[in-house]
Amino acid sequence: MIKEIRPTVFVVDDDAAVRDSLRMLLKSVGLPVEVFESGQEFLDAERDDRPGCLVLDIRMPGMSGLELQGKLNERHSILPIIFITGHGDVPMAVEAMQAGAVDFIQKPFRDQDLLDRINQALEKDAGSRRMLAERNMIRKRLESLTPREREVLDLVVAGKANKVIAGDLNLSQRTVEIHRARVMEKMEAHSLAHLVRMVLEVERAEE
Amino acid sequence: MFDDRQPHAAAAGDGAGPSRSSQAELEFRSLLDAAVDAIIVIDHRGRVEQFSLAAERIFGYRAEEVVGCNVDMLMPAPYHAEHDSYIERYNETGEARIIGIGREVRARRKDGTIFPCELAVGQVAQAAPPRFIGFIRDITLRKQAEERLRRSEAELRLAQELANLGNYVIHLDHSEPDYYSPQLHRILGIASMDDAVPLTTLLRLWVHPGDREKLDEAVADLQSTQASCDVEYRIVRTDGVTRHLHHIAQITRDTQGHPLRHVGTIHDVTDRRQGEDEARQLQERLTHFSRLSTMGEMAAGLAHEINQPLSAITMYAQACQRFMRSPNREDDDVMAALEQISAQALRAGEVIRRLRNFVKNREVKREPVDCNRLLDDLRTLAETDARLHNVRLRIEAEPGLPTVYADPIQLQQVVLNLVRNAIDAMSDVPETQREVVLSTHRLPEGEIEVVVADHGSGLAPEATEHLFNPFFTTKAGGTGLGLAISRSIVRAHGGRLWHTPNERMGARFHFTLPVSPAPEGE
Repeated sequence: MIKEIRPTVFVVDDDAAVRDSLRMLLKSVGLPVEVFESGQEFLDAERDDRPGCLVLDIRMPGMSGLELQGKLNERHSILPIIFITGHGDVPMAVEAMQAGAVDFIQKPFRDQDLLDRINQALEKDAGSRRMLAERNMIRKRLESLTPREREVLDLVVAGKANKVIAGDLNLSQRTVEIHRARVMEKMEAHSLAHLVRMVLEVERAEE
Repeated sequence: MFDDRQPHAAAAGDGAGPSRSSQAELEFRSLLDAAVDAIIVIDHRGRVEQFSLAAERIFGYRAEEVVGCNVDMLMPAPYHAEHDSYIERYNETGEARIIGIGREVRARRKDGTIFPCELAVGQVAQAAPPRFIGFIRDITLRKQAEERLRRSEAELRLAQELANLGNYVIHLDHSEPDYYSPQLHRILGIASMDDAVPLTTLLRLWVHPGDREKLDEAVADLQSTQASCDVEYRIVRTDGVTRHLHHIAQITRDTQGHPLRHVGTIHDVTDRRQGEDEARQLQERLTHFSRLSTMGEMAAGLAHEINQPLSAITMYAQACQRFMRSPNREDDDVMAALEQISAQALRAGEVIRRLRNFVKNREVKREPVDCNRLLDDLRTLAETDARLHNVRLRIEAEPGLPTVYADPIQLQQVVLNLVRNAIDAMSDVPETQREVVLSTHRLPEGEIEVVVADHGSGLAPEATEHLFNPFFTTKAGGTGLGLAISRSIVRAHGGRLWHTPNERMGARFHFTLPVSPAPEGE
């Protein structure tokens, strides 16, 4: 099981006042918040695998917001990013969205607009993390199967009847039934449909 | 007797004892010859009867060459031709044009030269037909002196007119009437000096309010033991015209120290000053225009710079509202947020204040400037642009620098211009390498050096040639004035502006400023 960590809002902004006011605002609504004054500081802190979201200033000296986004993508981080843009930064915001940012918001903004975007980002993050957790769980279950059980599983998912499987694997039908029951048990599948969905889910992610 | 052609022989005696008449004649002759003025006696037809020693000296004729001849031989044209008719007319009408009057005429010497003389003519009493005595005084020397004086006066007047220079002499002891040259009247725009209003009073009445203090100081100097002044000031004449005057004056005193004379010259330097003013104003307008256009180019960055504190203020205020509504609120958070709100409002105001200072059209004012503080003050404006282009700005200040005597806004303009050039030079460089380093150094020659270094593409050789030419630019939206104006500002401050390649890559722009002289007592 994954350790339960409260989702945190990570803020990266080089402007001390903007950074601190964001921290204060998020604190006022009871959201855990961590602030960083540069992209490098955030990368060094290795928070990108934590649940939460990233509120990122698009313009910063040294490493810009877009550069940090690129580095996080290289690390396969799934942390949703909300960009804070200034006046006239639309082309950069478009670039950020194309690179996978969930949203952007232009300064100055109403607190509720930012909080709404943060909540959406946190939900998205939670959803992604649930999905990832489930995939990991399925993979672990798949790894617990014996090679023979895995063969049986693949043929079951392919929609073959026990009799056909027995023929293909040169086993008795009774032996196939026992393997199949073991597969259902190890995979914690409620039904054949459930089993198929789990296997397809993992295969799709690995494509 | 008067027909005698040998008066000298007669005067010297002819051996016979003198008769009564010859005695009188001798006395008369002695009288003639003793006179300093030439004396010539003529008869009614104009023929010379007597020609005195002085006449011989003045005209260069011997008496025997002249006596019996017509006196007109001693006259140049037109008298020469007309003299006979003068005499005839007098003989007929008795109307004298000259007798008993005397006047200045011109006469001719034996060698043909003409000279000025004063002629007085008398008629010999009870002589019939009438005879005339002429007294002639050679006034060549006097005339020459008069002419020289007249000419030198004319030359002085012309010189004063050309130079627009007037002079005056005021006799403080009232020993002589005061003198004011004609050009002085013209400069002051008056027909004549009013004796009731002394010159200094008049000038103090007319002086431009901005220069009153200066004039008062000069007048105080003049009346003090120094007894001289050299001052430039403006006056507004009664006709409303403003003139720039350069006034040099001196008071001379007697041995007891009592003032005798106040002499001075007043030079109208309006045209020169106005020319200088116009050139300076043009330069200042150009400099100001360049600052305005710089700010125009930086508008996006400045909007961002003001947006930052406004965003922070908004968020702090909204956080406060939430804290206040929260049942378990912490007042420390509210206080911290409120403090930040006022700090950020000041920050936004400061950006606007610096911006306004920078673009304000103002008089150039020099003062002692600490270059390190100047860079610090400039940081807000410079970082505006740096942030917009993801450039880091680093300041490496050498501590404890002496001040320079400069106009701080113009210096900021120079530095900002160099920083913006440096930022633009790095647009093709990866973001992590974009850095501008501003540094200050003290040079051994009593100068402060400011260096702006970048890691950009450096300067192309063909660009360095025209770098400081006005309107030369490598930028699409550039005016091409930045560097030209920066260099003229630095030069006006007695410094130099140049560039060198940066180590590895990029360019370094340097400028120097002389250290301001140490205050007295240090």
